[in-house]
Amino acid sequence: MTMTSVGDIERFDTAVASADTDGAIDVVEDLLRLGVDPVTVMVDVIAPVQARVGRRWQDGTWSVAQEHAATTVAVSALEAVSRATRPAGGARGRVVIACAEREWHAVPAMIVAGALRAEGWQITLLGASTPTARLSRYLQDLGPDVTAVSCSVAAGLPNARGFIEASTTAGIPVLAGGAAFGPDDRRARALGATAWAHDARGATEAIAGLPTVVEAVPALPAEVTREVAALRTAHRDLVLDAATHAAAAGADDPDRSLRDALDQAMHAVTGAVLTSDERLLTETSGWTSDVLRARGHRDADAIVHSALAHALRDYPLAAGLVRRHWPGATS
Amino acid sequence: MTTVSPGSPIWQAALDAPRHDLSQVLDLELSGSLNVRRTVLRTLEVTRSRFADWAVVALADPRSRTLTLHGGDDLRSTVTVHHDSPASLLTQVIQSGQHELLSVDVDSAPFDGLSALIPHQGLRDEAAALRPADVLSLPLTARGASLGALILVRRAGRGFDETDVGLLAQLAARAALALDSAAIYEEHARITRVLEENLRPPALPVVPGVELATSFRSSAEHLEIGGDFYDVHGEDDDWLLVLGDVCGKGVDAAVLNSRARQSIRTAARFHRSPGQILGTLNEVIYDESSDRFVTVVCARLRPRPDGSVSVTVAVAGHPAPLVVRADGTVEQPAVSGRLAGAIRHSDGYQEVTFDIAPGDALVMFSDGIYEARGDGGLYGMDRLRDVLGAYAGAGAIAICEAVEQDVVEHLGGLGHDDMTALVVSPRAVRPVRS
Repeated sequence: MTMTSVGDIERFDTAVASADTDGAIDVVEDLLRLGVDPVTVMVDVIAPVQARVGRRWQDGTWSVAQEHAATTVAVSALEAVSRATRPAGGARGRVVIACAEREWHAVPAMIVAGALRAEGWQITLLGASTPTARLSRYLQDLGPDVTAVSCSVAAGLPNARGFIEASTTAGIPVLAGGAAFGPDDRRARALGATAWAHDARGATEAIAGLPTVVEAVPALPAEVTREVAALRTAHRDLVLDAATHAAAAGADDPDRSLRDALDQAMHAVTGAVLTSDERLLTETSGWTSDVLRARGHRDADAIVHSALAHALRDYPLAAGLVRRHWPGATS
Repeated sequence: MTTVSPGSPIWQAALDAPRHDLSQVLDLELSGSLNVRRTVLRTLEVTRSRFADWAVVALADPRSRTLTLHGGDDLRSTVTVHHDSPASLLTQVIQSGQHELLSVDVDSAPFDGLSALIPHQGLRDEAAALRPADVLSLPLTARGASLGALILVRRAGRGFDETDVGLLAQLAARAALALDSAAIYEEHARITRVLEENLRPPALPVVPGVELATSFRSSAEHLEIGGDFYDVHGEDDDWLLVLGDVCGKGVDAAVLNSRARQSIRTAARFHRSPGQILGTLNEVIYDESSDRFVTVVCARLRPRPDGSVSVTVAVAGHPAPLVVRADGTVEQPAVSGRLAGAIRHSDGYQEVTFDIAPGDALVMFSDGIYEARGDGGLYGMDRLRDVLGAYAGAGAIAICEAVEQDVVEHLGGLGHDDMTALVVSPRAVRPVRS
């Protein structure tokens, strides 16, 4: 099989960084013409460059608008790969792929869709932030063999659970993946997914071993669903409360980056309560502390820790997780 | 958790479970899907994991006189056979609604009993491999109609006693009800799909020299149609972009918006001026007996070779589009006009003409966006302008996605009206690749 090289990644990165859609499409079309496998182009060229795009925003090099413009270039490149892929005719069954509501990163789902299509699956891709009612309708109308849910940010996890309930109630197995599910299958299992995959190649392997019919997932423990529902309802107020607390402690926030970080952190806490996986807090704190440091906030962990602990004082599961697992406790 | 004693089939444990538990489980599992194929798979799975070693769901299609046989060794297998022998035992089961039970021992003439109940050679071979076997065929009857039959096989002479048959008849009745509901749903869903295909906005054409993007979120989250519409048509260097909103929501509104969209297309064949097109639209859709109306923003785009685009805009009761300049300033051209379809008038529709260049973007939107109400109140025009300013120069696709994301996040999961955006940005003229 023809391999890709570092040079290909750099060439694609240059095109993406200058928002040069035609240039990016040229790079992938050249690779495909040389005989590089479409999945390799997506997983080894487009995906790593997309990860760089995210990091450039994270470390403050790029504005959110630049990140977004670069992402649309990646999407066009993926569409070009998809056009050039001759699918094996859907002989392996049908898969509905969607991002849970509040999950706006559509690129990972597109890559998984492309990889599965190349393997002969018939794909229906529902795209970013799909409401559960919409997914449900597709599940009833199409009766697919598999639902695949992609989730990159913690904010999408509660709705991913909604997808899993909708799908398994109809007997359809669910394959879960994306950065928000973490480094192993623990979160996916906690939410009731039938299987978990680390990346697009893993998805092509995992999907082959899924059962034809699954039982509806059992309800989550009542104290968990109760607190998650309360956290979601109060989310906006909790973020405001945390931001006010941080401001009172002297944290200046001219570009709202602290407020946005608290918003993400609050979603992560909710996700950790939902999945009983405290590692979500460590993962997110690493991210918020990079973002905040890049934007001039000193002592980010301690600021966020104290603001979260304050805002979540009436939420026992959440407060316990923050106390034990969010870095930066002053005591 | 139920333990299974060694040697006993797994379904024995299910039969030994308290009856009321079992029927609850069956109700939940069988009614979970509204899709016929998924409901068939569920029925087979439940049957095989709890009640039998082998199972087939046979669904009759009286029009084509065929039987579709689902399952067997492979749950997902499907074969369709002609079914025109009224004498067969299976036909009797389906027509009479009475079950039939047969024992097939190892020495019996090959397939005698099996061929009476299993009308397919491959499936008969599978069942024959289980001899000495007991074959039970149960009618699938729901809402007074015969749908087909459920055919079960138990191996090694384990048999079906009277209690088993009673329980399995209940299972078949529940499965039949679920299958019938799914069939009704599928028929309606098919009609909805066909209507939706015709009512929803068509895919965007490729317009040379510009990037185009749209986003549409229906107030009915599971539908892809609503009261908002958009359309892009034209050719070469003369294009028309339309975004509109009819009063009302959902299917009723979608029917009117489809009419409005077609009327504009027709009008655009006769004049190219947005003002004249809206004047014609008002005449065409005005109906004295109805108080329905449409708001529309209509923009004529004329791309030039240097990458800039001349834009002429007219509106009928609709907010004027926003223009995002490359430097982040956001302008709204001053233009207004009466909404269309409400009254006859000869006021004409005012037009305004301006240029956009690479780096700029023209943003058309429906009121569902700035009137989106989340926990923090109305989204509002100010916030829309702020987001647009922050995304200056990012191109139509990124701008459109940013607006959609910001509004949906603002809603925080609350309900909303139809929300539509249509964005266009001139592409930078690209040097010819050497």
